[in-house]
Amino acid sequence: MTERLAARPSTGSTAAMVVLLALLATAVWAFADLRINVATFVDGAARAAEFAERTFPLDFPPPGEILRLCGQTLAIVVLATLLSTILSVPLALLAAANTTPARSARFGARALIVVARAVPDVVLAIVFVRVFGIGALTGVLAMGLHSIGMIGKMYADAIEQIDDGPPTALRATGATRLQQIAGGVLPPVLPAFVAVGLHRLDINLRVSVVLGFVGVEGIGYAIAESLRVLDYQRGIALALVVLGLCIVVELISGAIRTALLGRGERTRFARKPAPRNDEELGVDADLTRDPRLRSAAALVEGLVSPPWTARRISSTAYGLVTALVVVASMSASGVAPLELLGALPRVVAGLGLFFPPDGGGILALLFAELLVTIKIALAATLIGVVLSLPIGALAARNVAPSPQIAQAARLVILTIRGIPELILAIVFVVITGLGEVAGAVALGVGAVGLLGKLVADSLEEVDPGPERALTATGATRTQVFFAATVPAGVRALVAHVLYLLDTNIRAATLLGIVGAGGIGFYLLNASRVLEFGVVTTILLMVFCTVMLVELLAIWLRGRF
Amino acid sequence: MSPAAVVELTGVTKRFGPDVLGLDDVSLSVAAGEVVVLLGLSGSGKSTLLRHVDGLQMPTSGGVRVLGVDVPTAGGRELRMLRRRIGFVFQQFDLVGSRTVLENVCTGALGRLRGPRLGLPTYPRGLRREALEHLDRVGLADRAFQRADTLSGGQQQRVAVARALMQRPEVPLADEPVASLDPESSAQVMDLLKTISRENSLTVLCSLHQVDLALGWGDRIVGLRTGRTVLDLPTDGLDRDQVMAVYSRVGADASALLTTAG
Repeated sequence: MTERLAARPSTGSTAAMVVLLALLATAVWAFADLRINVATFVDGAARAAEFAERTFPLDFPPPGEILRLCGQTLAIVVLATLLSTILSVPLALLAAANTTPARSARFGARALIVVARAVPDVVLAIVFVRVFGIGALTGVLAMGLHSIGMIGKMYADAIEQIDDGPPTALRATGATRLQQIAGGVLPPVLPAFVAVGLHRLDINLRVSVVLGFVGVEGIGYAIAESLRVLDYQRGIALALVVLGLCIVVELISGAIRTALLGRGERTRFARKPAPRNDEELGVDADLTRDPRLRSAAALVEGLVSPPWTARRISSTAYGLVTALVVVASMSASGVAPLELLGALPRVVAGLGLFFPPDGGGILALLFAELLVTIKIALAATLIGVVLSLPIGALAARNVAPSPQIAQAARLVILTIRGIPELILAIVFVVITGLGEVAGAVALGVGAVGLLGKLVADSLEEVDPGPERALTATGATRTQVFFAATVPAGVRALVAHVLYLLDTNIRAATLLGIVGAGGIGFYLLNASRVLEFGVVTTILLMVFCTVMLVELLAIWLRGRF
Repeated sequence: MSPAAVVELTGVTKRFGPDVLGLDDVSLSVAAGEVVVLLGLSGSGKSTLLRHVDGLQMPTSGGVRVLGVDVPTAGGRELRMLRRRIGFVFQQFDLVGSRTVLENVCTGALGRLRGPRLGLPTYPRGLRREALEHLDRVGLADRAFQRADTLSGGQQQRVAVARALMQRPEVPLADEPVASLDPESSAQVMDLLKTISRENSLTVLCSLHQVDLALGWGDRIVGLRTGRTVLDLPTDGLDRDQVMAVYSRVGADASALLTTAG
């Protein structure tokens, strides 16, 4: 009897391997078929030179005008994100398994969230421009409603992850369901709620530029106007302003997020506190900072309101600043809360235009164009993976040869994340000409911002045990990377790549709007000529494709 | 059913899925003012039994009557009113870590209040004062305005006791209240529970792991194994070995482990 040296892989994982290889082959074919090659870029070089000639010197508007545009954009983005968070809280409470009153409510809420995610904000904006005209309200509603797709889902996930101990303890005191939620569910998820909102604020700021192309006020609108009259000097100058604005907002929201979530991590007890000796905690040596002295004094005085500690002052200050920003946003955009409420019925009426779906007699063409969009997404994902793997690996602290290199790579990823995809697309449209190549390359480069970060994060999360063990055997850094780090990260990588493909299909659709090829162009056209039935058909086609990718991801997840 | 019984379980069976039996035909009657300690290995059904008393779990079959209320048929409001009179101290304290100690104690009064509350200022002043007194009772009034998760485990459990006191409970339940604590904190929390129950002559149901603690407090010991009652005797005249039998018949290893741990 011969000893078997290698375990035979199960049929399930063989099938998964075959599917992955087929996907890779298709992506390579798409890449070749779109003629993304050196020649395109050599041709592009001449065009780029011409582009540079027409762009420089950049023509910035006067500072007052820049501030006004930025203020307008920020106001719309803040209100949209706020609207979305306000609507998402009740939806998420209905959608989370541990807070929902009934299965049917949970299903309904989940379905609403999925629909919100499936209808792109650009499409909503096109509809709302018809209903409310060009202006701020259109942007607030379009981004506000679409953002529910992400915020609602992440809120529901956050709620489902909490420890059910405190709410159960409140239930045992005789609290009603609503009291249990306010007292035991909301407090632990509040930091996550704020962090998700800030994250979406960053995303919406980028999206607002795209919305400018369909008539939402702000800096995106100014860019669209400049490009329409081929004034590249002004248009690209404004694009740079957007880039700066995105980076500033990302830095601020990133700092707040770290402060919020970091504070949670630093607390001495995790969800399940470990036994601890009272003596270990001891008395804070600094008398003025010891809360016990202050609260002991409060007891003597019979005070039952919290004292003004540094933390309470800072959290109150945060609250006041937020309220100020919201009020300022309302006055800057001219959107009043009552107006928003009054608009909602008209929103529903506007959405009614989308039914029933209609092929518009160009169904065959639409399918051909859908294929182009998928090809763009596949090629972009391939480019993204090829670029992200090395950059992401270098950005992981446990893989990078030195901390400086890791930091530099993180910076590259952050910068790419800061550039709105639309700006990338415009640049590549100029360099490679209108069409699929521009879309694929723009998305592929932009993907580094997402996938590079995910790769770096998941490599850093790899259990250091096996790595240490291999290093101890005398293996080189490269050997350790391939023998220990990669195998542990492969599963996460497959999930991330499919997630990237998913977002790329959606993004490729939208980039078609600025002339980057695929079905997006028809989406824009159909909206412009008011064939909303066709818009629905296109959305359904894209939605089904994305769903297929998600199903594939779920299937693969079980096999790795 | 005896008229004086405060808690009355009759033939309670609880199934989790087709194969798992949480409680297997358990009957138990607790008279007013009695302190009953539940003993048994993890998974023997102690927590499940306590949760049935509070209506946090409902029996698959059998009857549960507490303070004159038929728990399985009680409606939402009736059940809430019953829970207000019961009070529950959990093994993991289950405080809301990000809120202040005082707010956590105040949540014990939610059953008396209308509407949801978030934040200390949303509780009436008089109620906050009462909460401060209960905190003082457990020796932690000086910690009122700290975040609950900055306290040690023993302190957190004392806050949880203060939260239960806020309910002015008639039948406090405690589910392994000291299992997550070091010996010194355990002693503090146990003393507190004993004093409070004795002073107010409360009816208490408490599950414990430590045989010595059980013998030192309970009027009566109920032993559970795989969801069944295997011992139900008054503490008087009961010796340690008799109680250990609850554990020992499951296997020598387990009992050895528990003896050293206890």
